[in-house]
Amino acid sequence: MSNNEIGILSVLEKKLKGKNIQIQPGILGTATIQASPSTLKTVVKAMLDADEKTALTAITGLDLGANIDVLYHVRTSTEFFTIRAEVPKEKPVITTITDLIPGAAFHELEVTDLFGVVFEGHPSPGRLVLPENWPDDVFPLRKDVKASEVKLKPLPAAETPSPEDAKLVKIIIGPQHPALLEPEKFAVTVEGETVRKVEPRIGYVHRGVEKASEGKTYIQGVYLVERICGICNSCHATGYVESVEKILKTQIPARAQYLRTIILELNRLHSHMLTIGHAGLEIGYETLFQYMWRDREPIMDLTELVTGNRVVSSSMTVGGVRRDLKETDIPKIKSTLTDLRKKMPFYRNLYENEISIKMRMQKVGTLSREDAIKLCVVGPVARASGVDIDVRKDVPYEAYGEIPFNMITRKEGDTWARMMVRIDEIEESIKIIEYGLDHLPAGPIRVKVPRVVPAGEAVVRVEAPRGELFYYVKSNGTTMPERVKVRTPTFANIPSFLKTAIGESIADVPANFVSLDPCFSCTDR
Amino acid sequence: MVNITTWARLKSPWVLHFNSGACNGCDIEIVALLTPKYDVERFGIKLEPSPRHADVLLTTGVVTEQCAERLKRIYEQMPQPKFVVAIGACACSGGVFNGNYNVVGGVDKVIPVNAYIPGCPPRPEAIIDGVVKLLGALEASTKEVKPDVKQ
Repeated sequence: MSNNEIGILSVLEKKLKGKNIQIQPGILGTATIQASPSTLKTVVKAMLDADEKTALTAITGLDLGANIDVLYHVRTSTEFFTIRAEVPKEKPVITTITDLIPGAAFHELEVTDLFGVVFEGHPSPGRLVLPENWPDDVFPLRKDVKASEVKLKPLPAAETPSPEDAKLVKIIIGPQHPALLEPEKFAVTVEGETVRKVEPRIGYVHRGVEKASEGKTYIQGVYLVERICGICNSCHATGYVESVEKILKTQIPARAQYLRTIILELNRLHSHMLTIGHAGLEIGYETLFQYMWRDREPIMDLTELVTGNRVVSSSMTVGGVRRDLKETDIPKIKSTLTDLRKKMPFYRNLYENEISIKMRMQKVGTLSREDAIKLCVVGPVARASGVDIDVRKDVPYEAYGEIPFNMITRKEGDTWARMMVRIDEIEESIKIIEYGLDHLPAGPIRVKVPRVVPAGEAVVRVEAPRGELFYYVKSNGTTMPERVKVRTPTFANIPSFLKTAIGESIADVPANFVSLDPCFSCTDR
Repeated sequence: MVNITTWARLKSPWVLHFNSGACNGCDIEIVALLTPKYDVERFGIKLEPSPRHADVLLTTGVVTEQCAERLKRIYEQMPQPKFVVAIGACACSGGVFNGNYNVVGGVDKVIPVNAYIPGCPPRPEAIIDGVVKLLGALEASTKEVKPDVKQ
């Protein structure tokens, strides 16, 4: 809100003048700021001072041969900046920015794991996505590492719990646990019933998608990135193809833009409904889960009607979409959405008035607005804490710029508010789809694009159901990308759980956790 | 006794779901099985949180290096006789992730698999069909074994 495009850029230019820092406007967001390891913190500090909503979106590593380029992607209220700093491969050391932006901790660990860049002063160094028995001197995303040649170390012996304090008990949740659909481990230290510490161990689903996409053509890549996450697959595909289209400077037809928007919103509908039901299951309210999933099935049928598949839709492609919508299907879609709209007040009423839901969710896992910004959280989690960020509004992509809808925010910041944001967003999604169907432009659904993509790089942000999804694609003038970086919304949201769970009852952990709508296949990639 | 346990196993198999590196696509389809539209409880199939109570292990996704040990442990914790169903292209063969670093491959690289259900993800109907076929095969095999055979 505070600065418009020219505003914040000129503020930065004024602040960073004479410090040997180049600002190149229009590249990778609003501008690329060429810094060095020594001036990096100055730039970050200047950005934090210029806009109170400055947060880190991602840190990308790039293997340049002799050097490793570290790209800090930073978002402000309305803008997006990339700060670059190169470190030599022999001694890849850079100072941490976690003291300025606490939410950078996970991002830095990931770059350490995958590129071997050491962040001096990091508060909790250690493995993040790679297994404990991964060799210490192999960094999988460096170009000289062959995926098939990595030999793992023998498994470390099971650690014996250290008796730090007799009052504290360590409870291990996961990797196989009824409350988690996915394998991740959280070691929760409790004193009585109060949580004192949460230690996450993610990486159980790390499949090396970023490395694998470097060996796939741009067309194959779409199918690979879709399988990062089965729930928000269309968002991943959109992020990837939009990046490639940006490098190609291709404008896709208006009809394709609308069709993509409709598919993305169907994705959001089924994802939000899934979570609203799942939250019921976690607090022992199974009826809510069964009811919600019953009402979710028609949306799955609509996805199948529009894209041909229930779950992984495979409908996006570079240059447009692969399948047109039949005119005769539109009434069916509309009537299903009308049915859903009629059912939603029931769930809203349930969440607002049902005593057991209120007792289990209200004032649980409260995240303040300041913390939400500091920890760089995104999506419904940020919006429930009063941070008004939504990529669909901030940087409209596809047809979102032409479609009227409201951004839902709440002030409470607790588990309940995060679920309420999703309930209200369902209504907005229905509105978007209906508008899209009513104003669907005629014309082709895709344009022909060359297989060889010229050298270049692009960043794209998409609002996935769980929040801002970030894609960075670099091409080197061949049929395959040189680097694909994905930062998924759950990756950004987990730090908020680690903070809010502290001091609360162990019994509140599942409800608090599921309100983030965690998706670990996204997180680990 | 043997007859009763076989009957119970066929009429009400308890299944355990483990995701060893899946994208959630297959997982949400398994959860959808439990909900009113598909409702596998009508076949007596019940999702069970503990490996020690489970008859059938439904696995989804490729096996990552970090999960391989855990998958083996879960399999070993299950009581005999136990059955494994690999759901989805990744669990069957590794799918698109085959050959990546940190990926072991399909589930059968780590534990023996009784039934494969391909698809990306397989439809809930296909999963029901697979599990029911497994039960059919199980019934046929138990008929072959005479209960009074001393081993």
